[in-house]
Amino acid sequence: MKYPISLTVNGEAMEFSVEPNLALLDLLRDHVELTGCRRGCDSGYCGACTVLLDGKAVHSCSVPAVAAHGKDVLTVEALVRDSRLHPVQEAFIEHGAIQCGYCTPGMILSSVALLGENPDPSEAEVRSYLSGNLCRCTGYVRIVQAVLAAGEAMRGKI
Amino acid sequence: MSQFSVVGKPLTRLDGLRKATAQVTYGIDFKLPGMLYGKILRSVYPHARILSIDTSQAEALPGVKAVVTGKDAPVGLFGSRLYDQPPLARDKVRHIGEPVAAVAAVDEATAEKALGLIQVEYEELPAVFDAREAMQPGAPIVHPDLGSYQRNPLLCYPVPGTNILNHMRVRRGNVEEGFAQAEFIFEDTFTTQAQQHCCIEPHAAVGQAGLDGKATVWASTQAPYKVRTECAVALGVPPSRVRVIANQCGGGFGGKSRARVDAYCVLLARKSGRPVKIVLTRHEIFTATTTRHPSTIRIKTGVKADGTLVAREVEVILDGGAYGEAGEIVCWEVGQGAAGPYRIPHVKVDAYEVYTNKVPAGAMRGFGWPQILWAGESQVDIIAHKLGLDPLEVRLRNAVEEGSISHTGEVLHSVGLKECLRQAASAIDWEAERPPNRGRGIACLTKISVPFLGSSAFVKINEDGRVGLLTSATDIGQGSDTVLAQICAEEMGVGLSDVEVAVPDTDTTPPDMGAIASRITFHVGNAIRLAAADARSQVLALAADMLEASPDDLDLAGGKIFVRGSTERALTLTEVSTAAYFRKGGPILGRGSFLDEDLVPTDEETGQSPKPSPYIKYGATAAEVDVDPETGVVKVTKMASAHDCGRAINPLLLNGQIEGGAATGLAFALWEEMVFDGGRITNPSFMDYRIPSTVEVPDVQPVIVEAPHSCGPFGAKGAGEASTIGVAPAVGNALFDAVKVRIKDLPLTWEKVLEALEKKGEGASVAPGP
Repeated sequence: MKYPISLTVNGEAMEFSVEPNLALLDLLRDHVELTGCRRGCDSGYCGACTVLLDGKAVHSCSVPAVAAHGKDVLTVEALVRDSRLHPVQEAFIEHGAIQCGYCTPGMILSSVALLGENPDPSEAEVRSYLSGNLCRCTGYVRIVQAVLAAGEAMRGKI
Repeated sequence: MSQFSVVGKPLTRLDGLRKATAQVTYGIDFKLPGMLYGKILRSVYPHARILSIDTSQAEALPGVKAVVTGKDAPVGLFGSRLYDQPPLARDKVRHIGEPVAAVAAVDEATAEKALGLIQVEYEELPAVFDAREAMQPGAPIVHPDLGSYQRNPLLCYPVPGTNILNHMRVRRGNVEEGFAQAEFIFEDTFTTQAQQHCCIEPHAAVGQAGLDGKATVWASTQAPYKVRTECAVALGVPPSRVRVIANQCGGGFGGKSRARVDAYCVLLARKSGRPVKIVLTRHEIFTATTTRHPSTIRIKTGVKADGTLVAREVEVILDGGAYGEAGEIVCWEVGQGAAGPYRIPHVKVDAYEVYTNKVPAGAMRGFGWPQILWAGESQVDIIAHKLGLDPLEVRLRNAVEEGSISHTGEVLHSVGLKECLRQAASAIDWEAERPPNRGRGIACLTKISVPFLGSSAFVKINEDGRVGLLTSATDIGQGSDTVLAQICAEEMGVGLSDVEVAVPDTDTTPPDMGAIASRITFHVGNAIRLAAADARSQVLALAADMLEASPDDLDLAGGKIFVRGSTERALTLTEVSTAAYFRKGGPILGRGSFLDEDLVPTDEETGQSPKPSPYIKYGATAAEVDVDPETGVVKVTKMASAHDCGRAINPLLLNGQIEGGAATGLAFALWEEMVFDGGRITNPSFMDYRIPSTVEVPDVQPVIVEAPHSCGPFGAKGAGEASTIGVAPAVGNALFDAVKVRIKDLPLTWEKVLEALEKKGEGASVAPGP
């Protein structure tokens, strides 16, 4: 039994007919071909699959695609606007917050969600908010620095 | 610093923009038209004879296109120095999770369903799960054919008829005489647990194989040439009939240095005639790839009252699991590290790598050194406290320095150890008074790179004058593309943005043994210097012709070739390259090959060699912890990790390596443990095996110390692994300083701390005596 769903992905309206057990992650990777949401553990722990669902960071491996019906999905592919990087992306590059890069899109999207909710987070708030995004390369030091710096840059622009 | 224009600069990584925007293709992302999906059937028994395999029902399932078993890869064995592992089980399985068959089907669900239709008849065999038990007479023998396996006699000394696949010995001085001279003798036994790499990108590959015998693999790998070799073993073809192209690799840490998915892709592709993709599940990664070696280490050390170390006897038992993987070399390296970075005249080491019926242990960031230095550096701390000496002073008193003789007989060079110790200690304010339940600890760290693995590089000058750099070094996150491009740019005399780094492809990029053993900067870097110097001399020769000058009077800097002392007589690299392309000599290609051929194999009986390894890097980790006596929770409040990498080619990226490795080392110290019930892993998920997140890992202060190495590119050594080493003893030593309990078994969980605190009153901790 398949269910018809309609949703917006990176600003584009889309319709699909999906099995109820299809994860949003699989819909995005296999049907929309957006590989910036990454498969890591398929169990909601690593956060590599993070996307923004109506602006909130979710682990897309643990969200059924049918639950995204009528909602707005944003992936890392949509962060670049007019060939300009999002300040969080810029900060990740500048601060050396990227190594293998596999967790990076999820980490960046969680950071974007955080700075949307709290434009001036403390280091502890950044660490708490990003605790659902695992990274095995960096030890997180530069990721935290990058998010704080991006927040500062974004506040400067307002 | 200012002697270089590109080397030594904290430049951002070349692939940062692509990765921040997800414009990269990882192994798991790759697809081909007509591609099938593969799944692997794995043993459910730790040790069993395979009586029969019936694949007929699986083959009959609609959508299934190929099933392979051991019969499809009937000869050839995988291995590093000892070749002991069939690609697919033949007559026997030796661990739960061992590949027995593989299926390719139109989708993963069909392939998964087909696995359930394969009938395997097993006869269970007695199994052994404890390495020490596996060494006893009468233990089940995991590899009765050990004596007939092909091996590289350097570094690997198996004991046929037993489960010992390597016995590494070091004999220096006379250890009995040394103990007789000692005023105190300490003897302690330490253990370490299995740890998983936990690359966030699962192992993944796509393979294609034609009827002409040529196979192609799109891999997520640390070592394209090693994957090539193993795929060739599986297919029974010469290695050059396999082409391995390295997709982006989402983390390796030792776990992606072999063909653990790739070989099955090509076997299934050959049988089905279609490309096949396999992605391991997280459960498979935990239960069926490799782990860090669990170990039991007994150390006996003789010492003078002033803290001078005079004798050390070490016995190491590494639980290798069912196959050698790279464990035979881990064992050899453990022997190299067993005395610690100290001047000890009398040393005896016996390190054993032992087969058991568990998932194989293999290469993992640190490669045996986190284990051996956990033991050695904990014991040095025990000694210091017992003798009433400052643990930092005891280390400084005994530490090796330039010109010291190592316990394997090498005159040491490029030794920044003492400076690392001082700086790490100072970074956590070593001398400060601390409140109750807070303590500080320090540990030395050291690591060699593995010997006798060659590298090569091509440098081509494009028609636009920009420089193409071709190597088979994979940037698995460590930043090697950037560091290698910096080395190339520096040697050529161009800017970093003038260098284009090629994607490793074994049909076109020259041989290299992989991003393992912290060897890329040193080995590939040296090959690149040679290749760039070759290209540069060709450029200068042609430019000399064009400028009617002698090549000896020319220089190449900032992308320009000019007569020294004259700014007017100059050419751009573009002008020279264009001339080469169209008028004289043809396109300019530089080549460089590097092998550390000055090395001398260690003696089998004594482990002695005047130069056993390419380089040794040194460092120190210092930690400050708070211990909650109510809960037993250890919280790291400060950590500094100081490293002598010879020369920091890129301090920004080096700091990232130090911080990241320290986090993995801290996880090893405090939290992570693969729990076994017999041969079964009971916590194979991120839910039950917790890797640390942003809230657990403290800020780590990286410290760079430079003691340039005469053989390294611009003096550089390696950097990838060392920061994982030394964290556990630094934290354990800080724990002791805080609450006076000594725990000798990793990880330092709150349960163990609480138990130790309860027992403290009984005085059970340390019992040395003269």
